[in-house]
Amino acid sequence: MSGLKPGEVNLGTSIMAVQFEGGVIIGADSRTTTGSYIANRVTDKLTEVHDTIYCCRSGSAADTQAVADIVHYYLQMYTVQNGKPTVPLAASLFQELCYQNKDSLSAGIIVGGWDKVNGGSVWNIPLGGSLHRQPFAIGGSGSTYIYGYCDAKYRDGMNQEECIEFVKNSLALAMSRDGSSGGVIRMAIITEKGVERIFVPGDKLPVHWEG
Amino acid sequence: MSIMEYNGGAVVAMVGKNCVAIACDKRLGVQAMTISTEFKKTFQATPKTYIGLPGLATDVQTLAEKFRFKVNMYRLKEEREIEPRTLAHLVSSTLYERRFGPWFVEPVIAGLDKENRPFICSTDLIGCINFAKDFVVSGTTSNQLYGMCESLWEPDLEPEDLFETISQSLMNAVDRDCLSGWGAEVTVITPDKIITRTLKSRQD
Repeated sequence: MSGLKPGEVNLGTSIMAVQFEGGVIIGADSRTTTGSYIANRVTDKLTEVHDTIYCCRSGSAADTQAVADIVHYYLQMYTVQNGKPTVPLAASLFQELCYQNKDSLSAGIIVGGWDKVNGGSVWNIPLGGSLHRQPFAIGGSGSTYIYGYCDAKYRDGMNQEECIEFVKNSLALAMSRDGSSGGVIRMAIITEKGVERIFVPGDKLPVHWEG
Repeated sequence: MSIMEYNGGAVVAMVGKNCVAIACDKRLGVQAMTISTEFKKTFQATPKTYIGLPGLATDVQTLAEKFRFKVNMYRLKEEREIEPRTLAHLVSSTLYERRFGPWFVEPVIAGLDKENRPFICSTDLIGCINFAKDFVVSGTTSNQLYGMCESLWEPDLEPEDLFETISQSLMNAVDRDCLSGWGAEVTVITPDKIITRTLKSRQD
């Protein structure tokens, strides 16, 4: 199904991040698969690399964990030497690792966070290691099923509640169609004040047409 | 990518007290993508026997039709319904006929014989029959189903309890398989009636 080695664990995944006035909402499903077996059905794919900078991980679980750990380390060093990092800086670090090691890595990462200079920002780093700032970004195997839905539903200038509904509905649709995505929805609201986590269990997922 | 894992699916059958139950999921997928949630894999062969066919979907449909034909021909020639044990052998020879270019299904049969004794069995894709006294499992979720059935099954379950046991076995097994699920159908066969229920399940 993808460029994973035999036995390697796959973050099949649906991930998403949306920018709003005052911060970002990031969201992900919670399924990790080894082949067709669901190795972890409550995975946390939203990983902190700094107080107000998170990344959404998709692709190989090992590759994305390793890359996120390295960026976390670099940002800790940067903070003691130069003060708080900006989100584009963190995104740049991810890009450097993903681009220079593109032959060995299978990692699709979305960086989302808040900083004083830019406010909220979302940075998409797909497989080849390119960097794209976007008002909202979707990624992972499940994202292919919701491009049309997201393009139709997204509006500029949504507030925090509207963004949360947008992320929740989009991910629910992706999780329903994609076998490699599922479980629960984990979201995080990142603003100047810090990070607030939201958890949507499987039985509270928004329900759409199910045939 | 294994051909048996292209479409996904799960079937399980269990023996109870003077009854049997057979259950299947309802997903049809193309590898990771789900394209239908109404693809049932169990088919009624006779008034007292069901056959479950998980595996490659095109072969599921073709073999369902082939067995419908063969069972009908049997009824016309013998002037009686085919017994479950005989149907098992019919399935086995149909599959072995294609020993070196097999049908990609691993059938499960469940029914009551003419004395209303419970009967279940499963076969592999080339027709080796496994006669079981307790439960049989098949499909991409077979490993998970073995675990669930081994823990939940006990002998001499009444029809209502058998329904609960087989439902919980199937639902929790498919929740650990990304190629199965998206709804389930459970059929309980007793001497007087057959009850088929559709289960609401996680749609992921």
